[in-house]
Amino acid sequence: MLFTWFLLAGFIFLLAPQSLTNKFQFAFTRVFRWPLSIGRNISLSARIQQPLTDVVSRREFDKLQNHLANVTEELLEKHKQIERISGLRDRLHALEGAKLRLADVITASIDGSRCELIINRGEDDELAEGQFVLGDNSIVGTVSDVSPRTAKVKLITDLTSKIAVKIRELKTIIQGSGQNSVKVQLLSIKHKVEVGDEVYARKKPGFLDAPVKVGTVARCKRDDENPLLWDITVKPACDVEKLKDVAVIIMNPQE
Amino acid sequence: MHWFRFAVFVLIVTVLQAGLADIVAVTNLNIKPDLLLILLVFFAVYCNTFEAIITSFVIGFAADIILFGFPMGSRMISFGLFGTALAYLNRVVTIKKMPYQSVAIFITALLAGTLAHLLDSFRGQTTASNVFAVIFGTSLYSSLVGPFLFLPSAWWMRIKVGRLS
Repeated sequence: MLFTWFLLAGFIFLLAPQSLTNKFQFAFTRVFRWPLSIGRNISLSARIQQPLTDVVSRREFDKLQNHLANVTEELLEKHKQIERISGLRDRLHALEGAKLRLADVITASIDGSRCELIINRGEDDELAEGQFVLGDNSIVGTVSDVSPRTAKVKLITDLTSKIAVKIRELKTIIQGSGQNSVKVQLLSIKHKVEVGDEVYARKKPGFLDAPVKVGTVARCKRDDENPLLWDITVKPACDVEKLKDVAVIIMNPQE
Repeated sequence: MHWFRFAVFVLIVTVLQAGLADIVAVTNLNIKPDLLLILLVFFAVYCNTFEAIITSFVIGFAADIILFGFPMGSRMISFGLFGTALAYLNRVVTIKKMPYQSVAIFITALLAGTLAHLLDSFRGQTTASNVFAVIFGTSLYSSLVGPFLFLPSAWWMRIKVGRLS
């Protein structure tokens, strides 16, 4: 008899609407939610801990992800540098034996008396005083001072800058005028020079193995003070103010 | 029969089954021992028929209550039916030895699981395609660990087991 009643109760439960019988299940969950949640947390953590031998913590993961992002970005930057350097070499075959050290411009000081750049390469990168600096495939200046991690580049427009150049096979010297131009010194009027002539930095053993363009003659007239000499103004081939990076020519790399 | 002890025991085992049994689950089918069914066999074996009928249906009700999303009643019926049948069988064949208890758990779990599945299907409850593999796995797992849980159960229920092996 008891069995029949229980069986009947079972069938009533079975045939009762599920929305009604679910209330018993929800009531059980509500009453025992604390021990149930503990049990489930333990079960969950036990399952999660199993594959932990092959993974790292979230913090370590984030750290590695950041490192990966940094390295990837650095790699892309290096790729760009390689492309720039190889492009530079294609254009300047004469620099084949030289090492071109790319450097970013940290600051550019261009005012009346001083025209110089601070770049993010230094003695540690084999930079030394006197080395020529290229910007947009033309000579923009020379390294004037080096520290372990940075260097100062004296631009060709600086008042104290003097570079040996040639114009139409004429050897002469250019000196910065302090503004965005360069003056050619002591060139007799017997030599033929015209506006538009290109000016090349001359070879300098240990520093430059081939002539590299510096600029073009922008103005050419007789010197007011000495009519036997030309007063030539050279416009630099590169707009220094827009430079973001330069390449330092290292003629005798240690490697 | 200590009914208060029984009520507390069933509650504890129900909570353990609902919350902690997953720890010992094996394979990707999440096969775990059915503690309530082991309890059912225990009471069917060590109690008289009257007590076994009550305990079987109550344990079946407890098994129903922790299966969220399933219609209630299917386990109450199947557990009650096979628990009662086992209690009657125990009158004829004594199930005191561990291997027999293991076989009893295995067969009861297999039959009760199958009937519960059929009743669920009758109510239109969709189940996984590998449900019989799960029933078989659960039956096997329960039969392996079940006899070892009889001793602590007997201690709690103040029942003298008195088995030799």
